[in-house]
Amino acid sequence: MSAQRFFDWGLRLYIGLFFVYLFLPLAIMAVATFNDSRFPTITPWNGTTLKWFAELWADGRMWAALGNSLLVAGGVLCLAVPIGVASALFLTTVESRAKPFVYGLILSPLLTPGVIIGISTLIFWREFGINGGTFLTVLGQATFISAYVMLMVMARLQRFDRTLERAALDLGATPWQAFRRVLLPFLKPAILSAAAIAFLQSFENYNTSLFVVGYDTTLTVYLASKVRTGLTPAVNALGLVLILITILIASVYELKRRHELKPKGV
Amino acid sequence: MDGSVILDNVVMRFDDFTAIEPTSLEIRSGEFFSFLGPSGCGKTTLLNIISGFLSPTDGDVRIGNASMRGVPVNHRPTAMIFQNLALFPLMSVYQNIEFGLEVRGVDRATRRRKADELLELVALGGSGGKPVSALSGGQKQRVAIARALAVEPRVLLLDEPLSALDLKLRQHMRNELKAIQRKTGITFIYITHDQGEALAMSDRVAVMSAGRIQQVADPETLYHRPQTGFVATFVGENNRLAGRVIECRDGRATLDIPGLGRLSGRSGSELSPGRPAALFVRPESLSLSDAVGSAAASMLEAHIETVSFEGAWRMLEARLIATRETVRILVGQGAGDVLQPGQTARFGYDPDNAIVLADDGAPTHDAEMGETPRASSQPAQENRHVPSA
Amino acid sequence: MFRQLKARFGVPVAMAIVGILGVWLIAMVTLPQLQMIDYSFRPSLLPAEIGGPKDGWTLANYVTLFNNDIHLSIFFKTLWSSVFVTLLTLLVSYPLAYYLAKIATPGQAALCLLLLIVPFWINEILRTFSWFILLAFRGPLNEILLSLGLIERPIRFLNGDTGVLVGMVYAYLLFMVFPLYNAIESLDGNQIRAARDLGAGSLRTHWRIVIPHAKPGIATGCIMTFMLAAGSYAVPALLGSPGSRWFTQIIYNWFFEGGDWNQGAAYAFLLLILCIGFMALVMRLFKVGLADIAK
Repeated sequence: MSAQRFFDWGLRLYIGLFFVYLFLPLAIMAVATFNDSRFPTITPWNGTTLKWFAELWADGRMWAALGNSLLVAGGVLCLAVPIGVASALFLTTVESRAKPFVYGLILSPLLTPGVIIGISTLIFWREFGINGGTFLTVLGQATFISAYVMLMVMARLQRFDRTLERAALDLGATPWQAFRRVLLPFLKPAILSAAAIAFLQSFENYNTSLFVVGYDTTLTVYLASKVRTGLTPAVNALGLVLILITILIASVYELKRRHELKPKGV
Repeated sequence: MDGSVILDNVVMRFDDFTAIEPTSLEIRSGEFFSFLGPSGCGKTTLLNIISGFLSPTDGDVRIGNASMRGVPVNHRPTAMIFQNLALFPLMSVYQNIEFGLEVRGVDRATRRRKADELLELVALGGSGGKPVSALSGGQKQRVAIARALAVEPRVLLLDEPLSALDLKLRQHMRNELKAIQRKTGITFIYITHDQGEALAMSDRVAVMSAGRIQQVADPETLYHRPQTGFVATFVGENNRLAGRVIECRDGRATLDIPGLGRLSGRSGSELSPGRPAALFVRPESLSLSDAVGSAAASMLEAHIETVSFEGAWRMLEARLIATRETVRILVGQGAGDVLQPGQTARFGYDPDNAIVLADDGAPTHDAEMGETPRASSQPAQENRHVPSA
Repeated sequence: MFRQLKARFGVPVAMAIVGILGVWLIAMVTLPQLQMIDYSFRPSLLPAEIGGPKDGWTLANYVTLFNNDIHLSIFFKTLWSSVFVTLLTLLVSYPLAYYLAKIATPGQAALCLLLLIVPFWINEILRTFSWFILLAFRGPLNEILLSLGLIERPIRFLNGDTGVLVGMVYAYLLFMVFPLYNAIESLDGNQIRAARDLGAGSLRTHWRIVIPHAKPGIATGCIMTFMLAAGSYAVPALLGSPGSRWFTQIIYNWFFEGGDWNQGAAYAFLLLILCIGFMALVMRLFKVGLADIAK
């Protein structure tokens, strides 16, 4: 029994250390934002300042990249949500010998490294005279983000009772009315969650975007280039702002999700 | 409004499996009609063919004398109450009931008036604004009925809608369904594996087995004059003794049953000497030999194995000494008092209360009992009072 | 296939589904990959030479890799390091996933999952960048070690592969934890108790009961982590030195510095084959199918 107890305590200690490992680097990065030092660090501490936020605010290229990121994310939403929903509907409706193949094809973008999706998009569209830029970034990202949307919509769709559709038809609804009035309202929460995830995935994407952004740099690509060249704590300031925004969106998303998970006695 | 339903030589095949053998049947307008059978007998398939969810491989369905060939689900004059009710969970009671009218483009005020009327009919007045999830099982049932009635169907199809309810509520809802049917005059087609439900509510019942209708009759006839061995064993309880026909005269048939000798009963189907047949005696038709006391009575000697107390009755399980077959005997309290497991007793029956049916080799219900244990045992008890009435 | 869609959704929606799915799978998923593969088997030509005598299929782009010792060694280093990262991540994640799934109370588990999700939502670049600060030559970690007297001179963490490995484990950990957690959670706790009851020690219980049950989760986690590690660009670019380059960096250079897209396509295809090969190997070793992975 004491060996068991030792084991349990060891595990608890491990969990504690794990979360320190998870959050310490982020905390240090956040704190470094306020250090009045030319490089992003907390040692030595040269005094507290907010000037890096001011510098960030004045960075025109950052604003341009942010605008571009939002544009890309909007475009990705417009593509990935319909594609993801359509594939989920397809997979839950069709029973055929070709289905495993289609399923594999639908999942393949998730199992392909992001850089390769970027590269193949870049090469393919060159044939049509289209070079890297916002358009290709949207296409490249949507290629794999659609599959994430599919997984999330599918999870909810599998819990759908198809008798409800039959009931709607039986009561005189057309298939379109049954889809519009019964299935879509049921899927709505999953579609909204998937849209939120898709937006964040797009906003944070680096590997795919790296190859297809051309001159229309996104915020994440800009951030990476700042880290590698011209590193100042303004990067931390940007990081801190992004983290706060992310946490905000994530909390809203989590709260909504938990609210939906509550049993409603259906 | 003609709510008659005619099945004209309907056949349903899935790949190499025949779910419905060629079936013809006429259900009258305004009738409460049930399809009764164990699971897998094809009754749900038939319901889906009538509602339009399935197209028959061959044959035609006519509703109100109009062919339904090529008429999709949403254009048929039928409405279905689903086994799980299939109420739209994200809609209110009103929205559920008004759905069928809304998709037909009926205006708001008319819809609401109609919904209120129907809620009164099902005794749920004032509950229209509630979310469906706030209702109890019985209330959901009523909303489902109201929703189906809202589209003014000529035929209401009910797919075992009471199976999810507890026993008390189920019995209450039976009466209510019957009352609603009488009030509205709509044809009700009811699917169930529960003979208690079918016998209690229906004007006529079709007993189904293995994709085939065995017999269509009113409940009394089904019970007293079954035409096949399956019906005899599926509707109510029956003891079956198999043998060969010796003689068939004046509506009376005599069998030679190995080990038991000559036993006779009313002849219930086409019989000819020498052919295999079986004698069916219900547990309540068997009694202790003293009580029969008539020369006409036939005698069986059996070893009592169990005695179960069931209130006013006792059910005996006994093994025939001659054939080692088990028979069940229902005895009244007075007679039952003296009987103990381990005793040997003589039982008799009045041949007028036994029936002889040709043994066509088709499965009796006993052969399928493993499949639907609930269907065979529990409702049988509910119905034991039928013959004494 | 269309018949089933039509029966359920009606013609317009069914056509929309097939149309949207078709465009995605053909124009976005399949054709670009095929085009990339086709590219990799063609020489890099001037626009004027296309369709000319030099235009044809060739293995030259692949031969380049095998004739270039540096690229070849980087390819294999990427392979081994990714395997190492995958194993390390598995090792770090397993106790956590087990704790979350089987030991923590529901409240603790919910809190831990939330704490895990938050960094997961944060940009990969930022997560990597935070290690850049922590591991810097004059950064906090060196300062602490110095002040504790554990080292005499600061260590250059970011000079070799150490930083890259640590950063990758950190960046891709959650892709391992969640599949593991989901798999272990579905294990009936009574099985563990029964094994204990029968006298099995902790280690044996894990080896014989928990791990076999969690196989699909382990496979999924390993496949995802390996794919992310081998295909990572940001982590080696930020935490590695010029001496510790990653195969993705070579690919990038072919595209945007060498200007030879055909060569780059060949390297990219090799990276893809590497990932597919690893996936096939894991799926065979763990005897799991594609359907298990998508959970």
